[in-house]
Amino acid sequence: MNSVISCQHLTHYYGKRKIYEDLNFEVPEGRILGLLGKNGTGKTTTINILSGYLKPRSGTCQIFGQDIQTMDPALRRRIGLLIEGHVQYQFMNIEQIERFYASFYPGQWRKEAYYELMAKLKVAPRQMISRMSCGQRSQVALGLILAQNPDLLVLDDFSIGLDPGYRRLFVDYLREFVKAERKTVFLTSHIIQDMERLVDDCIIMDYGRILTQQPLDTLLDTLHRFTARVPEGYDVAFSDADLFHPSVIRGTLELHSFLSSDEVSARLTANGVPFSDLHCESLNLEDAFIGLTGKY
Amino acid sequence: MFYKEYLKTRWYLLLMLLTTSGFAGYGLLRLHRVAAVNGIGHAWEVMLMHDVVFIDLLEYVPVICGLVLALMQFVPEMYHKCLKLTLHLPVSHLKAVNQMLLWGVAATVACAVVNYAILWGYMSQVLANELWSRILWTALPWYLAGLAAYLLGAWIILEPAWRRRIVNIVVAVLVLKVYFVSEQPMAYFGFLPWLALYTIALLSFSWISISRFKEGKE
Amino acid sequence: MCLTVVLLLVWQLPWLINFVSTPSGHSPFTLYSSLADDFIYNDMGDDKKLRRFGTSGREYTEAETDSLLPFFYMRQLVADGRFPDTIMGRAVTPHEVQQSNLIERFNPRDVNTRGIELYPLLESMPKRVELAMPDDMFRITADGIEFVRMESNDVDREKSERFTKALADKGFHFPATRVSGNPSPRKSYDEGYLLLDADHRLFQLKRCANRPFVKQFDVADSIRLEHIFICEPSGRQLRGFATDDAHRLYVITADYRLAPTAVEHFDPTRERMLIIGNMIDWTVSVTGDDAVRYYAISADDYSLIRSFDRPLDSSSVPGLHFTSANDNYCYPRF
Repeated sequence: MNSVISCQHLTHYYGKRKIYEDLNFEVPEGRILGLLGKNGTGKTTTINILSGYLKPRSGTCQIFGQDIQTMDPALRRRIGLLIEGHVQYQFMNIEQIERFYASFYPGQWRKEAYYELMAKLKVAPRQMISRMSCGQRSQVALGLILAQNPDLLVLDDFSIGLDPGYRRLFVDYLREFVKAERKTVFLTSHIIQDMERLVDDCIIMDYGRILTQQPLDTLLDTLHRFTARVPEGYDVAFSDADLFHPSVIRGTLELHSFLSSDEVSARLTANGVPFSDLHCESLNLEDAFIGLTGKY
Repeated sequence: MFYKEYLKTRWYLLLMLLTTSGFAGYGLLRLHRVAAVNGIGHAWEVMLMHDVVFIDLLEYVPVICGLVLALMQFVPEMYHKCLKLTLHLPVSHLKAVNQMLLWGVAATVACAVVNYAILWGYMSQVLANELWSRILWTALPWYLAGLAAYLLGAWIILEPAWRRRIVNIVVAVLVLKVYFVSEQPMAYFGFLPWLALYTIALLSFSWISISRFKEGKE
Repeated sequence: MCLTVVLLLVWQLPWLINFVSTPSGHSPFTLYSSLADDFIYNDMGDDKKLRRFGTSGREYTEAETDSLLPFFYMRQLVADGRFPDTIMGRAVTPHEVQQSNLIERFNPRDVNTRGIELYPLLESMPKRVELAMPDDMFRITADGIEFVRMESNDVDREKSERFTKALADKGFHFPATRVSGNPSPRKSYDEGYLLLDADHRLFQLKRCANRPFVKQFDVADSIRLEHIFICEPSGRQLRGFATDDAHRLYVITADYRLAPTAVEHFDPTRERMLIIGNMIDWTVSVTGDDAVRYYAISADDYSLIRSFDRPLDSSSVPGLHFTSANDNYCYPRF
């Protein structure tokens, strides 16, 4: 499978503060990839690098095989960009903005896709975008992307500022569009439930590195939460690279791992943990995310 | 691209045209009043003896108009980093920036041409060519300054980092001062071609800001 | 961008330094006294009071100075009742002194700046006592003189032809290289304009009873005049000044001659000059780049009586400038 996005050895600092070092990832064609990470782990940095508005300290990023910094402008036809907050030109109205963008995408512009979405918005065609709600704006931005009909979509935190209805609308429309046309998507969101309905693969970032990149199904199938009883007064006194974030709350040990029940049991025994009554639970994406990154 | 610039600036451009024409018209009214009260000969004499140009109120008007035009055109681009949208359009970034600037430059020049036509239309009727050409030459650095103010304004507004932006403002103020170091009519006569070339070179300044924007400077 | 910043620094930093540092020395007011045979100048003493010195080093009191410069301080002497009947053996009255006194200033700014090349030609022999501004102005083109009527903003063909012919008949070659006049009705008489023609020959043009009056001056062929300055002093003792291509200063005399002076160098495009004269002697001060040169010359034949130089302290930081005290133009210069 071809990689639409390929980032190699990305390193970036803000001043002296390291964001990440030697980051590598690829986004295969036809997949929806979600980038998850706590605040400050470099999600926005990555999106900015991918959309060409940040020059990394070192490393290269290629989209459709071309370096982003020196990309042929015509290649940008094939990339749809949603910037944070669904921002669009404030001084245009629905008709003007469509007319404006249409002139840049001759041959590929699908006017009807835009107006189909706009018809559902109860907005006058001459209403300025500056006077729309965030939800309405998100529909305009989505409509423009659908009309542009790009092969790759880069979406920066699409859920920000949207109430659940619009969020659901956005996700459903997007998923339908992407799946029907085998588009590739790279997105971030801080609301993880949305991701679960949308993404095929996920990258989970921690400070300075990637914790895991794998298909969502695999992640949810293999990552489990383990709980076990431990004696009163026991405190976590071991560390094991495969047992994530062990903690004790009121006599209950909790940890996450990709290992099977038996393996976890063996590891705990090997670490001298006085446990009993080991349980294994399946997780949703949000629990998995917290399990991998910790609560703090 | 011009459509976008047109949408941003159409009302302001109308206002700019009316304002500058108003000031030019006011200068003509002063001339007309002098002529009506003391005879047109008196106007000739005061121009000759006291180097009066009648349109001195117009002096800083183009600069202000240029700055406001830059604000009208580029603040919406920087609002929530809308510039990202513009730079994401499938045209080369250089072309995109130059088209935006070209719009502003063309608008400023068109405005100046209209002003000049108004001034010339009246003055060439009542003043000898030595006199009206002196007035028009005297105003030329003001209009160049307007163009420079627009280009410098664009450079400042498009600059992504605030600290650098303040540096830019200081530089821009000093550069604009060059257009106003002499109050004497015709003072810039020999220097004007060079000043004009320099003003055109200011076009390239915005590219510095855009490059910094693309590098993600903050 | 970098170039701009560098140029701005080269422009603003020296200016700032010069602005902050104390202003450089001025040159004190200096006059020649024939009575003392010495230049007398005003200067601040250490006590910040105005004191008067001779170049010989002698100090004069205020009353002594008035007496030694009776032409300049005439009004003070008259007020004090001390004005003498004779000065240097000449019987004088205050009225004669006033008539013969002369103050002329020459600034490179005026020479280097091209003004509006339109000139009102006053009627030199008005029917009324007062002079009056005309209702037209002339310009000199490559092939004639043109009078433009102000009211209608058109050329008075008939008058233009009349004056063009008068000039041409006297041998004037168009166009003019210099035009010097003093077109103001607020003076006691009008002597029209001094003109240098295309061959740098000196002419006078006047309008007398609405007819052209043209006269060529008697100037040796070896002299090529560069700058001319009309003067209309109340005593009518001269018509103006001129400099030639070697920067020698001449007096244009009342009898249409050119009289050389003892001022051996005056470049009107770079140097300032002040002439304060009376019926006996003139004090000519020429301010150059690094010194002020003072000449005392005879009022009769402009020969040298005495001279001295005072060096100028010009210690300013060099840098980029746009304007200059020497002209009205604005362009970058170092």
